[in-house]
Amino acid sequence: MIRPRWRKVLRDLWGNKLRTTLVVLSIAIRVFAVGMIVGTQILLREDLSRVYGTTNPAHAFLSISPFDEEAIEIVRNVEGVAEADGRAEHTIPLQKEGDELGEIRLTVPADFADWRLQTVASISGKWPPDEQEILMERASVPYVNAAVGEMITVEDVDGRLRQLTIVGVAHDLFTQPVQFTNVPNGYITRDTAEWLGYGDKLSRMPLRIEGEDVTEEEIRAVIDRVKLKLEKAGYAYYGDWIPEPGEHPANEAVQPLLAILGILGLLSLFASAFLVINIINGLLAQHTTQIGIMKAIGARSSQVMGLYMASVLIFGLLSLLIAVPLGALAAYGLADFIAGFINFDLNGVRLIPQVVLLQTAVAILVPVLAALVPVLRGTAITVHQALSEQGLGAGHFGSSLIDRAMNWLTAVALRLSRPTRISLRNTIRRKARLLLTLITLTLGGAIFIGVLTVHESLLKTLDDALAYFAYDIDVEFKQAHRLEEIQRQVLAVPGVAAAESWIGASAVRLRPDGEEGDGFYLIGAPADTAVINPTLLDGRWLEPGDSNTIVLNSLVLKDEPDIQVGDVIMLEVDGREGEWRVVGLVQGVMTGGIGYVNQPYLARLLRFVDKADSVEIVAATTNPAAQRALEIRLRQHLEEAGMAVDSTGLISDVRGTIEYQFGLVVTLLAVMAVLVALVGGLGLTGTMSINVLERTREIGVMRAVGASDTAVQRIVMVEGALVGVISWFFAVLLAIPISRYLSNVVGNELLRSSLSYTFSFKGAFIWLVAVIIIGALASFWPAWNASRLSVRETLAYE
Amino acid sequence: MIKRLFGTKNGEDGGNGRTPSYQPTHLVDVDNVTKAYHTPAGDFIALDGLTLKVDPGEFVAVVGKSGSGKSTLINMITGIDRPTSGGVYIGETAVHELKEGPMAEWRGRNVGVIFQFFQLLPMLSCVENIMLPMDFCHVYDPDEREERALHLLELVDMSDQAYKLPSELSGGQQQRVAIARALANDPSILAADEPTGNLDSKTAVSIYDLFEELVDKGKTILMVTHDNDLASRVTRAITLADGKIVHEVKR
Ligand SMILES: Nc1ncnc2c1ncn2[C@@H]1O[C@H](COP(=O)(O)OP(=O)(O)OP(=O)(O)O)[C@@H](O)[C@H]1O
Ligand SMILES: [Mg+2]
Repeated sequence: MIRPRWRKVLRDLWGNKLRTTLVVLSIAIRVFAVGMIVGTQILLREDLSRVYGTTNPAHAFLSISPFDEEAIEIVRNVEGVAEADGRAEHTIPLQKEGDELGEIRLTVPADFADWRLQTVASISGKWPPDEQEILMERASVPYVNAAVGEMITVEDVDGRLRQLTIVGVAHDLFTQPVQFTNVPNGYITRDTAEWLGYGDKLSRMPLRIEGEDVTEEEIRAVIDRVKLKLEKAGYAYYGDWIPEPGEHPANEAVQPLLAILGILGLLSLFASAFLVINIINGLLAQHTTQIGIMKAIGARSSQVMGLYMASVLIFGLLSLLIAVPLGALAAYGLADFIAGFINFDLNGVRLIPQVVLLQTAVAILVPVLAALVPVLRGTAITVHQALSEQGLGAGHFGSSLIDRAMNWLTAVALRLSRPTRISLRNTIRRKARLLLTLITLTLGGAIFIGVLTVHESLLKTLDDALAYFAYDIDVEFKQAHRLEEIQRQVLAVPGVAAAESWIGASAVRLRPDGEEGDGFYLIGAPADTAVINPTLLDGRWLEPGDSNTIVLNSLVLKDEPDIQVGDVIMLEVDGREGEWRVVGLVQGVMTGGIGYVNQPYLARLLRFVDKADSVEIVAATTNPAAQRALEIRLRQHLEEAGMAVDSTGLISDVRGTIEYQFGLVVTLLAVMAVLVALVGGLGLTGTMSINVLERTREIGVMRAVGASDTAVQRIVMVEGALVGVISWFFAVLLAIPISRYLSNVVGNELLRSSLSYTFSFKGAFIWLVAVIIIGALASFWPAWNASRLSVRETLAYE
Repeated sequence: MIKRLFGTKNGEDGGNGRTPSYQPTHLVDVDNVTKAYHTPAGDFIALDGLTLKVDPGEFVAVVGKSGSGKSTLINMITGIDRPTSGGVYIGETAVHELKEGPMAEWRGRNVGVIFQFFQLLPMLSCVENIMLPMDFCHVYDPDEREERALHLLELVDMSDQAYKLPSELSGGQQQRVAIARALANDPSILAADEPTGNLDSKTAVSIYDLFEELVDKGKTILMVTHDNDLASRVTRAITLADGKIVHEVKR
């Protein structure tokens, strides 16, 4: 038989279903949020590394002059090499709907039947494809305007139209998401590549070295041996790329997401603790008299405490019941959404022990700890205090200065109607309660505004970055050439609209204390440059007559934070020390630290007057495929003219990468903002409702003395909205540091630099509207409930 | 019947505040108690060096004007409030020296408190309300508690309403249940602060009759009342004014 005191606990919970539901839902929504966020994090990390492991990833990619099986065999025999494979990659023009020209990236494996590294899996259809056939990457299928069995039209090397039949679908974990690059991925045989005019040779060699958890140094050591062997065998070695060992390339983009999720997880943990303190406080305030009676008839404080802690425990368990499965589902949904961009499949919905453990802690431990203080305080109350506080609640109005000021303000200054005056006074009547509610609401709002601010800052940074580049192709020469010669040669290439020659150099700052700084890149550009649009943050841009003046971008200041516009700094430029006057500061745009100096001066300093070692080309077309063709023509033309080209680069490639990484984070942030608003909104609705619920008896008194139902409802709703507005004010204040911090984390993870911080006024406005609605609606429900009770019932209400 | 109800207490006497040197001569010994309340306007003396001794089986009524210190006095005896100076001894226990925890248990076992506003827990039925003190103070076998609670309800003539919730009862009925609850742990003393203050005079008389019955069965009762008719029926009536006993009638 259950003892009467436990029956009291159960009946408190059962008898007050509205309140129990609200409390349980309020805790559950937080526990749900924690489960969703942390679950997403773990799902992504675990499943990505699992899928990644099955593809036999390469430790390095070597770029070699055209090769075939012979070279692969040579490399396989090099000491320390575990596996070598070969492939070619061609990005070629693709005909899209109408006459529009897009691009498709073709991967040519050495052998479909014996694909050893960075493997691609067959999902459906034929494997391997035959000549003039193509397999499409599964995420790319919607981007080529043709279904399996149909044909796509591409241009071959000579610009002739060729048709490839799609015969199957494959899965490649290593492609950049077509959603962002807009360049679909396909897989063809070497015969087909030859038919398209690219020859049947390979150009890239994925390499895996022996050993687990290898370091970059170990990889480098093996590559050096491979390079020697290859060069001895007559191959030219163009270069190599070592991805972060053991990490999927998408990690670059996923890390900032995980970082954001982690911070949001922590914040929502914090917010949930406040919510619980708030709820338990309310519960105890309501039970003051009962606590007094129980103590009067012989209950010790510890026994009373036990009763209320048991209630807290039951609240926790009930919310777990709801939040664990829902959190797991939501985590799967969110992780699946992100996995879609990275192009991998999750291992299915599952309960992750760590997450369930954490949720249990949040649902049980946090409430119990949070409740400890109010329960201790509430139950330590003496019988005398408890029983003399019966009646209309524990708050005292009228004594403090604030109260009197409020009285005067509402009655005299604002000439408010009496019911509205009651609302205002009620709002500040229970100051501790109000404070807790405010903290809870504020945290929710600050997180929402913060997330939206990061979102807008990202978009702004992206805009800045994309606006900065007014050129399309960058050509770096092996040596400096005369300016007129460069101009004459590049403008002779069809498709070049404009060109501007630059000088590049590296600079190291010699700090006042004698230390060397990290170094940055120096660009000698004409003062009236037409190929970049830097955003001026402070000071001025270069002027034609400038000598040793320099304009820095904001990324330089990351390492050298003490520099200010107007300062004279010591720089070592290509070995020459000298003083430079900082005249301006421009926004850094994901390019790293750059100092801009007047070209003629830098040329004199480096002793190549009237010469330049790079040229930035503005193409006549914006079409990426046409620009790529132009890049090839430029290379050929310049080599033929005897101007050896060191490297060329397409800004649209940079743009694609930027947009991909940003796109992922921006999309996720938008989703998070909606979720935060939902979770926060629901949690707050619960809290506010509980607050009003506690005042049922008070509402009864108001009605007993003649207040109409609508008057009572108006009082309560105005009060709710007012609390919302006050919390909004603090939320905006708090959102600033939170969003700055979040922006820094995201900027660092994504760009190794900070974002162009833009406070989200839109977010602040949305939250203001939301919080007023939340406040009013959340109060309406219990108030409406109270107005349906008879006065006698409300007065008897506990 | 009385033996069965009041003779089977199986818990030991609660409370650790015994003073070995003190030899009890009275059941209740309020010894030179002063109670001062600290208010912003200065200290307010609610009880002023008050001394009161009550012997077992007495039925004491405390009367006096509003604000004369009646509730304060009762609160001293029940341990609900503490004296500023002086001592309160009940049986062998120095009540004013008990800490909050032992105080609660001591009170639960030794003093039955009855309030003006009944103060039954709303979510528990009558029987459960009566079982609650036994539960808190671990008095009686858990299996016996319900039976005992029903007997107490019988005593206060409420056995037919045993499983109703307090909200389904009239004020007088609630007060009867509250009295049964006060008797739950078989305390020797009942302390009631205006137990009939919220009841009509007819019901008040019936509650009063119940008290007399209990006194006949050996209980000691202290009761604050404003009703002079009732006060005249007790064995002893004391009148308070400004925190002092100004008049006393004994029969
Ligand atoms: N917590 C307190 N703080 C300050 N003064 C108090 C407090 N409690 C009681 N008093 C004062 O002590 C005096 C005695 O109060 P008490 O409650 O004992 O009166 P009472 O005789 O029971 O009156 P009533 O018949 O109205 O119940 C009163 O003047 C009261 O104002
Ligand atoms: Mg009184």
